[in-house]
Amino acid sequence: MILNYIKIAFRTLRKNKGYSFLNIFGLAIGITCASLIFLWVEDELSFDSNFPKQDQVYFVSTHQEYEGEWRTFGSTPGPLAEAMKAEIPGVVRASKTRGLDLLFSVGDNVVNRFGRYVDNDFLDIFSLTFIEGNSAEAFKNPESIVITQATAEQLYGEHEKVVGKILKVNSTDNYLISGVIENLPNNVSYPFAWLAPFERYGRDKEFTREYGSFFADTFAELSPDADFEAVDAQVRNLLQEQTGDADSKAFLHSIKDWHLRADFENGEQVGGRIDSVKLFTVIALIILLIACINFMNLSTARSEKRANEVGVRKAMGSGRARLMIQFISEALILAFIATLVSVILLLVLLPQFNLLIEKDLVLGLSKPSHILFLLGIAIICGVFAGLYPAFYLSSFKPVEVLKGLKVTQGSATFIRKGLVVGQFTISIVFIVSTILVYQQIQHVKNRDLGYSKDQLISMKVTGAMIEKFSVIKQDLKNTGAISNVGLSNSNILNGGNNGSNLTWTGGVDTEDILISFRLVNAEFFETTGMELKEGHGFSENRAKDSASVLITESFAKLMGKGSAIGKKVTLDDTYTVVGVVKDFLYGDMYGASDPVLFLNYHDEASFMYLKTNSEIPTNDMLAKVEAVMKTHNPAFPFEYSFLDETFNAKFKSEQLVEKLSQLFALLAILISCLGLFGLAAYTAEQRSKEIGVRKVLGASVSGIVKLLSKDFLKLVGISIVIAIPMAWYAMENWLQNYAYRIEINGWIFVIAGVVAIIIAMVTVSFQAIRAAIANPVDSLKTE
Amino acid sequence: MIQIKDLEKFYKTEEVQTIALNKLSFNVKEGEFVAIMGPSGCGKSTLLNILGLLDDPDGGSFMFNGTEVAGYNERKRSELRKHNIGFVFQSFNLIDELTVFENVELPLIYTGVKPAERKKQVEAVLEKMQIMHRRNHFPQQLSGGQQQRVAVARAVVNKPKLILADEPTGNLDSTNGNEVMDLLIDLNEAGTTIIMVTHSEHDAKYSHRIIRMLDGQKVTENILA
Repeated sequence: MILNYIKIAFRTLRKNKGYSFLNIFGLAIGITCASLIFLWVEDELSFDSNFPKQDQVYFVSTHQEYEGEWRTFGSTPGPLAEAMKAEIPGVVRASKTRGLDLLFSVGDNVVNRFGRYVDNDFLDIFSLTFIEGNSAEAFKNPESIVITQATAEQLYGEHEKVVGKILKVNSTDNYLISGVIENLPNNVSYPFAWLAPFERYGRDKEFTREYGSFFADTFAELSPDADFEAVDAQVRNLLQEQTGDADSKAFLHSIKDWHLRADFENGEQVGGRIDSVKLFTVIALIILLIACINFMNLSTARSEKRANEVGVRKAMGSGRARLMIQFISEALILAFIATLVSVILLLVLLPQFNLLIEKDLVLGLSKPSHILFLLGIAIICGVFAGLYPAFYLSSFKPVEVLKGLKVTQGSATFIRKGLVVGQFTISIVFIVSTILVYQQIQHVKNRDLGYSKDQLISMKVTGAMIEKFSVIKQDLKNTGAISNVGLSNSNILNGGNNGSNLTWTGGVDTEDILISFRLVNAEFFETTGMELKEGHGFSENRAKDSASVLITESFAKLMGKGSAIGKKVTLDDTYTVVGVVKDFLYGDMYGASDPVLFLNYHDEASFMYLKTNSEIPTNDMLAKVEAVMKTHNPAFPFEYSFLDETFNAKFKSEQLVEKLSQLFALLAILISCLGLFGLAAYTAEQRSKEIGVRKVLGASVSGIVKLLSKDFLKLVGISIVIAIPMAWYAMENWLQNYAYRIEINGWIFVIAGVVAIIIAMVTVSFQAIRAAIANPVDSLKTE
Repeated sequence: MIQIKDLEKFYKTEEVQTIALNKLSFNVKEGEFVAIMGPSGCGKSTLLNILGLLDDPDGGSFMFNGTEVAGYNERKRSELRKHNIGFVFQSFNLIDELTVFENVELPLIYTGVKPAERKKQVEAVLEKMQIMHRRNHFPQQLSGGQQQRVAVARAVVNKPKLILADEPTGNLDSTNGNEVMDLLIDLNEAGTTIIMVTHSEHDAKYSHRIIRMLDGQKVTENILA
């Protein structure tokens, strides 16, 4: 029996090549799309899952209250880890860590790698596997370092035993390699290429032993039977007791939530990447739905061709259930073929998709989960797409179809039109969303940052860059490629050090306000293009500014009415405000930034900014800068980034949404058009006699095209009417996530509507024109 | 075998009710060959559909082998049909996507005959109809006469007690038509009851009895043999 179905299915496919192609290709695109999203979702869900203690490992974060609002920070004081372990019974291991870039040199082989200074417990919290050495011995010597296999191979080549070797770090220090651990997969939230004892980092840093300084990333492992709520509360109490600050609440963030649920608002967990995962899962289902709709539409539209077969089979004794099984089997066969096609498409497209989303996804055809997914999707699509046609086709009465009566397609036509409206509604919502996502990202990117991100190079301070700053600056300027050089202790785009222990003239409840500090040089403002609103900048002669600060406008406002110049700010010492700088944006690009206080002190600068001369070609400019840096800082590789690129990278997750929504909008439209194309062909075929008669009676080609296109355009019109409120509602919700956002403009709906109409017109008119220019004699002869 | 009494069938549109069968009564004995004749629209095909359990009467009684089947639901009708009735249509109604062999095999599949047994039975009937050499052809590769042979083969492969033929020679030339009629005679002589709707006086003469209809009613009944 099944064999009979399969035979019929293949013969039907072969006989109707055009329809089969539309069906299979449409479904294959849908399945490919869903599979790409599946791979992405699988990757997102697998973050940190390589660490075995999924129910026990936590990151300690804090919610802190400023001006009535709870903000969430990842940093905690150095002594917390040890105190947790000592005082809270449920905590079995804890480690403070400090992440840094270190420069490793082995002969001429120099690499910069991010890693962490950690306590001993860190190795066991994450159950790291040693290839060389072991966790018990790894940190016995405070001068030791454990590196990943990849780092070892980059430094020493493959198959080299490296434990016991001395590694030169930052061109001055020597570390003893005490272990090599297995590489971490790409999908970990806190990656590292090396680990070294925290003791070494904290040796000369008093602040690491104080509760007043929140600088460390703290990880903890709870015992398997620990009561999470109790331990969480105990950690909170412990920190509050030690800091005496009731406005700072520590909490445990589970390893399972690090990647997906890392957004907090006013002290509450509000989602994170999980929202994108959910969004794209829904989008994948919608695209599959559109593809299945095509199948349903084309199958029912062509039902007359199958009507006779249904009649004969029923007359021969087939029951309805058997016929339904037959038609669903055919749909399943088609879905399996589409799945095979989509596997080929996936293999071809995955590298491009990986480039687009900056991931390294792999389709594992030997991986049970992937095979199950593909099988599952084929079965679900086959059954879902085949169910309605099966139900409809099997309902034909043999008396009517065998008599050759025209099948009355009343309900089927209505449903078919409804499905086309559904497809186009979704497509239009996608078009509107794509435009709005693009607009929102552009809106933020074009926001007045308060500084100029263009023509600005950022370099991390390494080696002797501070000591030799004057000569480096002069030599850079002498090249003609660089006009200004600024220094700062933090990346201009990110938040830097901050605190709430300041007082100032006119200040009320100042301990409740978070102020950000920047330690900069005099030229920093000119280099970055920050605008001085009042007073003057810093002097080249730092001694003159030993008691001066610059502040931002929002800080000036906190000092009350009138000019802020001359007012006092007390930190450890008291400073006088000499200048007010226009507010600038850092950290959250959608929000408002905290007030900033600048000190003329660049000894601890971490970033050097170079304003480039736009007239010099980029390559020449970089060569000149590199030459200067090589001369004065020869031990360190010349590494730089363009600030505008770093800025763009801050919109990674939005850009992912943008790219994917563009891609999916395109695919949704493509699949919908395939369906429409098939339906138009069918309609033209159905009405060929009518067209013939009309032409004989004098109808023009354009009149016929209009006649055939009209009905479809009506459907698109209805789709537009339904899609507008849906798209508006969905996008208004999405935009609610952003403090700095666009308003939805009516013309976007006009554009989306026009685009949908044009696309539908082009799709339909191809068939309509073909039908209209056909010789009427041919169509009349067929009757 | 068949007793129908006061059989009625109406077709309704929004405004008009057409009477297709008007209190029609007659019997058919097992092994009989009955021809039903009459002008277009007299209700012949409607009658055949009801006799074939493809359609429901609106009134009257229909006894098949002593059982009242007038009120049967689709499932019961289908069950009775596949074991007892074979159809031959004017337009052959072969499934284009199936070969000759597969078309003939279809009723056996629906009655649950095992594959090996099916093969045997299909081959036997194809031999008998002299189209064995065409077993792997598709319907569109055959002449009209050959297609109707396949249709007859399909109708008889299940060894039904009753064959309903709706103008079996209507689409055939006289040579092919006569061949199909000979096949029906052979089947009848082997014991199969045949009810045939036809416009052709020539074909009707092959039967034992001719029932003539007009406006849904029986007008005359001629016994020929």
